[in-house]
Amino acid sequence: MTASYNDTLARPPRVTTGAAGWARENLFGTWCDALLTVICGTALALGLWFGLGWVLGDAEWSVISALGGRFVIGKYNTVAACAGQDCFWRPQAGLIMVAALLGMAWGIAGGGTARVAAIVLAVAASAFAFLPYSLNEMGLDVRLLLLACAPATAIGWAVATYTPLGTPLRLAILSVAAFVLTLVLLRGLSGVPGLQPVSVNDWGGLMLNLILAVIGITLCLPIGIALALGRRSGLPVVKVICIVFIEVFRGVPLITLLFMSQTLVPLAFPENFPLNSLSRAAIIITLFSSAYMAENIRGGLQALHPGQAEAARALGLPGWQTTLLISLPQAIRNVIPAIVGQFISLFKDTTLVYIISMLDIVEIGRAFISSNLEFQDNPRELFVFLAIVFWIFTYSMSYVSKRVEHHLGVGQR
Amino acid sequence: MTEIREATTEPIIVCRDVHKWFGDFHALKGVTTSVGRGEKVVILGPSGSGKSTFIRTINRLEQHQRGNIVVDDIELTNDVRNIDAIRREVGMVFQSFNLFPHLTVMSNITLAPMKVRKWPRAQAEEAAIAFLERVGIPEQADKYPAELSGGQQQRVAIARALAMQPKIMLFDEPTSALDPEMIKEVLDVMRELATSGMTMIIVTHEVGFAKEVADRVIMFDEGNIVEEAPPNDFFNNPQHERAQMFLSQILD
Repeated sequence: MTASYNDTLARPPRVTTGAAGWARENLFGTWCDALLTVICGTALALGLWFGLGWVLGDAEWSVISALGGRFVIGKYNTVAACAGQDCFWRPQAGLIMVAALLGMAWGIAGGGTARVAAIVLAVAASAFAFLPYSLNEMGLDVRLLLLACAPATAIGWAVATYTPLGTPLRLAILSVAAFVLTLVLLRGLSGVPGLQPVSVNDWGGLMLNLILAVIGITLCLPIGIALALGRRSGLPVVKVICIVFIEVFRGVPLITLLFMSQTLVPLAFPENFPLNSLSRAAIIITLFSSAYMAENIRGGLQALHPGQAEAARALGLPGWQTTLLISLPQAIRNVIPAIVGQFISLFKDTTLVYIISMLDIVEIGRAFISSNLEFQDNPRELFVFLAIVFWIFTYSMSYVSKRVEHHLGVGQR
Repeated sequence: MTEIREATTEPIIVCRDVHKWFGDFHALKGVTTSVGRGEKVVILGPSGSGKSTFIRTINRLEQHQRGNIVVDDIELTNDVRNIDAIRREVGMVFQSFNLFPHLTVMSNITLAPMKVRKWPRAQAEEAAIAFLERVGIPEQADKYPAELSGGQQQRVAIARALAMQPKIMLFDEPTSALDPEMIKEVLDVMRELATSGMTMIIVTHEVGFAKEVADRVIMFDEGNIVEEAPPNDFFNNPQHERAQMFLSQILD
């Protein structure tokens, strides 16, 4: 008797069997479900039929290959920008540094998302080296520097694995150093042969979007945290300043802020301060996102049980340590989806710098189409391509955030 | 009527005419009492009577607005140094445990000794293991709070408070959020602590525990002490009619 009881009841009962059973259960359960299934299925099939038909048949993808490297660096390597010399190696050096840093991250993490990211970048860069352009259109030096990303990844991995540089803190410091070095390389140094200055007005393409996004994302989180804490502070002056800042930057459209940046940001700096359009845009995008970030963080802080801070205070921890060690880590973890949402939104918002005549990846494509009659019928191809590029970046961010959440979720429920 | 019994030894906590308002609500109406070194005081009373508020004023989780409180010869004022000094000497255990969910059991316990007492990690961890052994769960050190049962969480909370080596322990309804079968394991730890000579103030509804462990039972009602006596007198011969009513309700 006991044996048969165990055999029949120890496992959960199976309700459906096979694909047909699953479909009957989930797709055609009631006449309403069945109707919805038929309507949605038809729409999906039609969409796929015409969509794929266009992608594989009618679409003229030559506009993408004609733009080529300009998607990546805009007008950076043109004769006007670079005084007739070849400057393509400078952004490429930046890419190689990114590959090496990702390799280091892989070495430190020992696998996981860092390994995926490092391998994807190395493989993609190597693949781009074999694009079927002629050597005139895409020189041997450009291809070799692209191929250098793979060994750079390997060197980064080895450095992190076998030298004392392989700690997260040192990687963070190196990353900041590499970013600054990249900016200096791109900008050039007057008087140094081979590093003739390139005006930031000639920076463009995906490079410009990424530079603005990296600055914005690294700075808006700490500034947002400071604003959130300030808004909850007991000091009335600090509190009022933070509230005014947040409400002003949240209340004005980013486009308006970017317009105003041309006239207002210089007022905050001494006269003749060398402030170019790129730094103005970076400042505005950072501050705009900080205001939203502050409210995300504040939401996370408010969701905490007051007993958490009480327990920390009862143990004798001073207020700032309670905030730093108990409240903030929990608050930030609780609002990771909102934080990453803000990062994604910031990355997409970098396209708005066309307002202050900067040629980001979208604007360079749009400008190209409107100035080349042969491609004026191909905006669809261009924008589908741009959508895919943006989706790849934003989905990567979303994927990393999912991994981070999963990693931090240990012990949470 | 109410017999104010002086603590048998030198007092470590002295409260004189302590008042507390929440907005217009007068939560504490001039509480005066003292607690001796090593004394175990159990506080009873209906909900809303101010008993939790009272023990929370002792480590300044609630600020009293009139009267004075002196803990271990330090007066509680707005001076942050005094508040921090008192909190270092006063451990607290909460009804809802309030363990830090993002830290392991070990980190929960070592955090304050390392940050406040500036102990090196090795010393703090060694002490933490000793306290976990004392509360009976040394094998749970590397788990996160959410992986433990309620009774285990509360025992970790007790170990966390003890790790600061306090002179006084405050218990704010430590077993009220626990399933019946877990109450005993927490009370056992508290019994053991009581025999070690710790000064303890315990807000609880566990009458059996009060009879067994308390040197003195205090009953709160409507923001003040209505009865204060050794457990024998308190439970067998209550003087105040509020205390008689309360006891007849909870002793049924």
